[in-house]
Amino acid sequence: MIREWTSFFVAVFSLIYIYELSLFASGAKDSALALMRNPGIIAFNVLALLFTLYHASTWFYLIGKVQPIKLGKTTSKPWQALLLNIVLLLIISYAVIQIFIVR
Amino acid sequence: MPKVARLHAILWGVFSMGGFIAAFLLPVLIYLVGIAYPLGLWPVTNEDPTSAILNHHHIGTLFLFVTVAGSLYHGIFRFQSTLTEVGLARAKRALEAIGYLIIILGILATAIYLLQYNPSFFSLP
Repeated sequence: MIREWTSFFVAVFSLIYIYELSLFASGAKDSALALMRNPGIIAFNVLALLFTLYHASTWFYLIGKVQPIKLGKTTSKPWQALLLNIVLLLIISYAVIQIFIVR
Repeated sequence: MPKVARLHAILWGVFSMGGFIAAFLLPVLIYLVGIAYPLGLWPVTNEDPTSAILNHHHIGTLFLFVTVAGSLYHGIFRFQSTLTEVGLARAKRALEAIGYLIIILGILATAIYLLQYNPSFFSLP
């Protein structure tokens, strides 16, 4: 049941970020940045990140359970899907940082 | 397959796609804009991450739209169906209506704000 409740954080972060985008679009960039520096919002974001990562892990495990892959005589285990997808998550996150922030 | 069942299957299919987006793309966005920027952590420097992403024009705008719209759909869809499982089954129809309304308005708003910021998005790079 915890997994289902983590979707609350996914949804609320998305709504807060849409509001931030609206401030960006209307030219109120300073207000948008001040909102993200609000201690309450930062605390929420830390919680949202933890719950989103938990949500992602359970999602990856579920994929391995629902759709195991057959390789010859062996069938993949859910923990293998979890591990593989966590590695993929790290690669994608690193690529996003490299493309949009570092470069 | 009846029309309602087909629609239900499509909605759960989109939910599943949103799950992948929320799992793979949302954590890094939360970290960059919500934690690293306000606390001055790696890899964010002076420029705020939202501007940095949007300055990458087409791909940045597309990244933000896919991440926010997919995560919003996934989050709201799951949350409203969770509420019906914890004793609000009587209000199922109303919760679904409110949930879909938030999803539609949220996705439209995201598209409009991103296009306002990058009006030449549909022109060739």
